[in-house]
Amino acid sequence: MHTAFGRRGLVQISLAAVLAIGAAIAVSGALEGGAAEFDQGARLASICAACHDSDGKSDGIPPLTGLDENEITEALARYRASESPSIVMHAIALSLTAEEVRSVARYLADKGKEARP
Amino acid sequence: MRALTRRQFGAGAGAALAAVAAPRLARAAAKPPVAVIGGGVGGATAARYLAREGLDVTLIEAKERYVTCFFSDLYLAGLRSLDSLTHGYDRLAQNGGIKIVHATATGIDPVSKIVSLNNGTKLSYERLVVSPGIAFKFGAIEGYDEAATAVMPHAWMAGPQTELLRKQLEAMEDGGTFVIAIPPDPFRCPPGPYERASLAAHYFKQNKPHSKIIVLDAKDAFKAQELFEEAWARRYPGMIEWLPMQFTGGVKAVDVKGGVVVAANARFPAAVANIIPAQMAGQPAEAAGLTDKSGWCPVDPVTFASKLQPDIHVIGDAAIGGDMPKSAFSANTQAKTCAFAIAAALNGTPPAAAHLFNSCYTFLGPDDAFTNAINFAPVDGKLKMTDFFISKVNATTQERRRMAAEAGGWYQAFMRDVFG
Repeated sequence: MHTAFGRRGLVQISLAAVLAIGAAIAVSGALEGGAAEFDQGARLASICAACHDSDGKSDGIPPLTGLDENEITEALARYRASESPSIVMHAIALSLTAEEVRSVARYLADKGKEARP
Repeated sequence: MRALTRRQFGAGAGAALAAVAAPRLARAAAKPPVAVIGGGVGGATAARYLAREGLDVTLIEAKERYVTCFFSDLYLAGLRSLDSLTHGYDRLAQNGGIKIVHATATGIDPVSKIVSLNNGTKLSYERLVVSPGIAFKFGAIEGYDEAATAVMPHAWMAGPQTELLRKQLEAMEDGGTFVIAIPPDPFRCPPGPYERASLAAHYFKQNKPHSKIIVLDAKDAFKAQELFEEAWARRYPGMIEWLPMQFTGGVKAVDVKGGVVVAANARFPAAVANIIPAQMAGQPAEAAGLTDKSGWCPVDPVTFASKLQPDIHVIGDAAIGGDMPKSAFSANTQAKTCAFAIAAALNGTPPAAAHLFNSCYTFLGPDDAFTNAINFAPVDGKLKMTDFFISKVNATTQERRRMAAEAGGWYQAFMRDVFG
């Protein structure tokens, strides 16, 4: 996944952020049904589609295909923690709630399986 | 981590399940008709995402093809073809299930909810999205009218005007002066005029190195000024002269025949003059009663519903809802937010939280670009900037190259998101 999201860094901070996200998921997880989460994930993924080509061919910006849910969640936690390596992804990660991260990560991971890696 | 509001989750599990089950039946029974006026970035994105939400969408756009204003400075510098910036509506029709009507809206009746078209047909709608882009305030500069654009192009709506400016720059002799006049805020693409000066300088440096660029600004400062000025000194020393309002008193008139741009305190003879006029919302915004006295369309920052007319939403450059700049990226995120809000209202789906974001790649040279990234959120009925990030002035050559490469990839992905 380092090829898709750039260098790993700030392991301790990102681990803390992932744990915080995990705790929030545990609280909010009971509230919504699966279909609603899919709708939310699909709508949130529209944010990604403005820069990441949907068929994974885009030059210059890595595709989002072939990533699992944890990889996407962890990457967003790292982007949230630091403005390097991408100010764009830093701002996007800051704008998402923990529950939104879960929805969009699950949606993208499922969708990515359908597309070729 | 932003807290989840009570409203977002107040429905609880039972209500959420009921709300999910009902709209799917409603979708199957009858698709509510939604009309979209304007096939630019805002309108095309809105049409695409409204159709995805299961609505019956008609997109009204007079032109068969759309040329993006963004990246057109690369065309002016000879770095990109106009063809690569030109997009049609076939994929929206074929893959998106959207009805495309190439016509002009001549009237909107907000009470009976009918749009009249210049081809004689009438379209009824449940909701109407208006994404008309900009129009120019001709007359703000004496002598600069529609006819004058054939001699001194604005090139601020991409297409024939952009081609005209490119031809003029190509025909200009080495040692000539290219004058760019920048309008007062707000205008489409705030970094655009300064990017244009940068890329024109790149073209001159390669082809006519004794030429000069004079930038006449209606302001005394501009956004990302340090980034531009650093690049101008580093890449194009002595070529670009930026003159703020306080030096010139502002552009007051043009002498089209004499080729002179006239400011309050000085006259600027120009081999090529690019006059970017003051702007307002494009038609039919004013005719439909969607504009206030500023000439722009006030909207609700969550749904982009017009504050002046019922069941009509305004997105993109024409809308004013606070801090969002008039950019294609803004139009794209506004279109999505608006589409989800309309779907929630018509289909009974749960409302989605607004995610309003802007990012613009700006070129300083062919392999030298910077970007910004801004989040917005509704605060007291207006869109307020909540996070702002921008590339560093002392970015490395490698980083600048990477931004330029990212920009190219972004354009490709963005066009797929907008036009399918």
